[in-house]
Amino acid sequence: MGTAPAQIPTSFGHELRACLRCRLVKTYDQFRESGCENCPFFKMDDGDNERVVDCTTPNFNGMISVMDPARNWAARWLRVGRFVPGCYTLAVSEALPEDLQALCEEVHVQYVAPKRV
Amino acid sequence: MSRGRGEEDDDIEDEEYEDEDQFLDDEDYDKDEDVGRGRGTSSKKRRRSVFIDDVAEEDDEDDEEDDDELYGGCGKKNSKAPRVASQFFDLEAQVDSDEEEEEDEGEDDFIVETGADLPEEDAGRRMHRHSLLVREDEQEDIEALERSIHARYARSSHTEYDEETTDVEQQALLPSVRDPKLWMVKCASGRERETAACLMQKYIDKGSELQIRSVIALDHLKNYIYVEADKEAHVREAVKGLCTLFAAKIMLVPIREMTDVLSAESKAVHLSRDTWVRMKVGTYKGDLAQVVDVDNVRQRVTVKLIPRIDLQALANKLEGREVAKKKAFVPPPRFMNVDEARALHIRVERKRNSITGDYFENIGGMLFKDGFLYKTVSMKSISAQDIKTTFDELEKFRSPSNNGEGEIVGLSTLFANRKKTHFMKGDAVIVVKGDLKNLKGWVEKVEEENVHIRPEMKGLPKTLAVNDKELCKSFEPGNHVKVVSGTKEGATGMVVKVEQHVLIILSETTKEHIRVFADDVVESSEVATGVTKIGDYELHDLVLLDNNSFGVIIRVESEAFQVLQGVPERPEASLVKLREIKCKLHKKFNLQDRYRNPVSLKDVVRILEGPCKGKQGPVEHIYKGVVFVYDRHHLENAGFICVKADSCCIVGGSRSNGNRNGDSFSRFSSFKTPPRVPPSPRRFARGDPPFDSGGRHGGGRGGHDALIGTTVKIR
Repeated sequence: MGTAPAQIPTSFGHELRACLRCRLVKTYDQFRESGCENCPFFKMDDGDNERVVDCTTPNFNGMISVMDPARNWAARWLRVGRFVPGCYTLAVSEALPEDLQALCEEVHVQYVAPKRV
Repeated sequence: MSRGRGEEDDDIEDEEYEDEDQFLDDEDYDKDEDVGRGRGTSSKKRRRSVFIDDVAEEDDEDDEEDDDELYGGCGKKNSKAPRVASQFFDLEAQVDSDEEEEEDEGEDDFIVETGADLPEEDAGRRMHRHSLLVREDEQEDIEALERSIHARYARSSHTEYDEETTDVEQQALLPSVRDPKLWMVKCASGRERETAACLMQKYIDKGSELQIRSVIALDHLKNYIYVEADKEAHVREAVKGLCTLFAAKIMLVPIREMTDVLSAESKAVHLSRDTWVRMKVGTYKGDLAQVVDVDNVRQRVTVKLIPRIDLQALANKLEGREVAKKKAFVPPPRFMNVDEARALHIRVERKRNSITGDYFENIGGMLFKDGFLYKTVSMKSISAQDIKTTFDELEKFRSPSNNGEGEIVGLSTLFANRKKTHFMKGDAVIVVKGDLKNLKGWVEKVEEENVHIRPEMKGLPKTLAVNDKELCKSFEPGNHVKVVSGTKEGATGMVVKVEQHVLIILSETTKEHIRVFADDVVESSEVATGVTKIGDYELHDLVLLDNNSFGVIIRVESEAFQVLQGVPERPEASLVKLREIKCKLHKKFNLQDRYRNPVSLKDVVRILEGPCKGKQGPVEHIYKGVVFVYDRHHLENAGFICVKADSCCIVGGSRSNGNRNGDSFSRFSSFKTPPRVPPSPRRFARGDPPFDSGGRHGGGRGGHDALIGTTVKIR
């Protein structure tokens, strides 16, 4: 395991949130504390801004713990194969807000909006 | 031979090709020996045949290319015959990269060589082959080949995949036999996510000892989790020690089902204000509710409901009196009346909600306004998908103080979340939301999300694309339409009034006004006959009911019948269910009317007394002294009148006569036809061809007619 894994969510109630870009799942507090390991540019752990609420959502579907993203079919299929090991969700229900999408483009990071039924 | 993943391509290729080579070696060795020692060009032919035999199927295209190289190679080969062993090893490496691309060619060369140069041993053969391929001018090619191979295999190598997410790529990521397998493990209910996280932690602690690759916990699949691993033994190992997982139940998921496991689609239901939802739990389960406020952070919504409050029980509870623990019944929905509550001495507090600024009455901890109950519930306890409401429910929701505005707003949000209505080309539609509101047009083309309409107004482009959620079918009064869904399905009629989404239609079958949503209706010229039959019973049947009363079915509705009771004095139509009908009545009764004339079916009678005095019509049913007469002009009860037999008198001949001149001859008139009457309708009715009066018309009808005018002899 080369890369340091992301934090594992400490509880499973309503505080669980998923990052809208990389779909990493952690609790609100964990995001606030250390931001998102895959998307540091969101700066969720930074000072005052309420980025956590903008970039993450509690509406997500299913959870997958990825131990080794590189050697993992499921991670590839879900396109989290390039992210750090950790707990991810299969699908989020919302799209990233426009301004944050622009931010993604600025840092040349891929963002795929979730498929809507 | 499975390719390892993420290792250097070269190494693997080398291994593979070496194996292949050996394989080929053995195979070809024999053949070549058989072929013999043909040398030079003369043996080409044989080589070709040998080549075809051995390497067969795939290589035909390559043959042509091969030939050139072969010949060239052959020529050159001789010059490089003896080789040092070291060279042998070097070449092998390079050759392998060639081999891969020109696998077949390699094989060919090999074969050809041996064919041409047979006295060599295996090693020699190899050397020759390699030497063949390693020519000065081929060096550059080799480099190029290597690069192309790298490029080709980099694509399928698992460590490097594009981030481009197109559908084609998704296909390429389908699991193959080389991928780890998915195992389904039974888990304690409700602990799936926790288990997934525990395994994650275990992995972090133990490092690569734990050989599982990932753990999947699906929301909608309780009691099971999926573990991705190469071997079942790995799964068992990983699961050991976790109390939430049962190692006894480990099942393999077939490859083709693997992607289904992960394709969870996110159904984003937009919960916004004024959305219609249904409650899933509690006393209000199944009730329609309207969303008033959404709190996404805490996953709660405030909804507006029609209260189901038992005031008495509430009063009891508040005063500390004993109250039955569980209510045996759910109180019916009823608007809350504050005065009533006050009358029962329930404390009513008038509070002001700081956020909305509205006044709420707080009764027993519940908030009321305008008679509605406002309740805050978690998002999990409501369902917002495809809510189909009936008219009645919406009607009830119209709060006493609300005007028409509120209702229409409610309806339009209802439509927002409805399943897509199907617009067809040529439908007349009207835009109901957005900037183009109230624009009428006709549908030109229907796509997934958008509908192209041709607007009525000049000055607008030929076709406009409009979201189908913003459109609604529009109708004009006078259109003939048919209802295709909803409670009134199957009815046809004419539109008499249009109120935005709601149409009032005059139904043909039942002759009454029905209210339907515009969505449920299509324009059509079809005229429904209505349902005339349920089970065994048809319209206009005489039936015997449960309670020994009898009557005629005058109308068939969706679940029941309207039956006119057989009580002459009081015409009474009652609604009767299918199961209350015992049987049909067929018995033939013969009754007599007032003037002692026998009355039977189809006779025309006139009613002489009672409320329907003066009406006349054919007798449809007779039973126990009561006749049912059908009069077209009678407006009640679908024209059926129930009278006692002796309150009527026969009028005219029987129905089949067709002759309604009202002559007082009774039933026998059917037999007595003055022969001189020119072809009467009756004759046609009987299906006889018209005959001359003097002719054989009397045929088999009693012989009566035939005798008139004939000369008879009295014995």
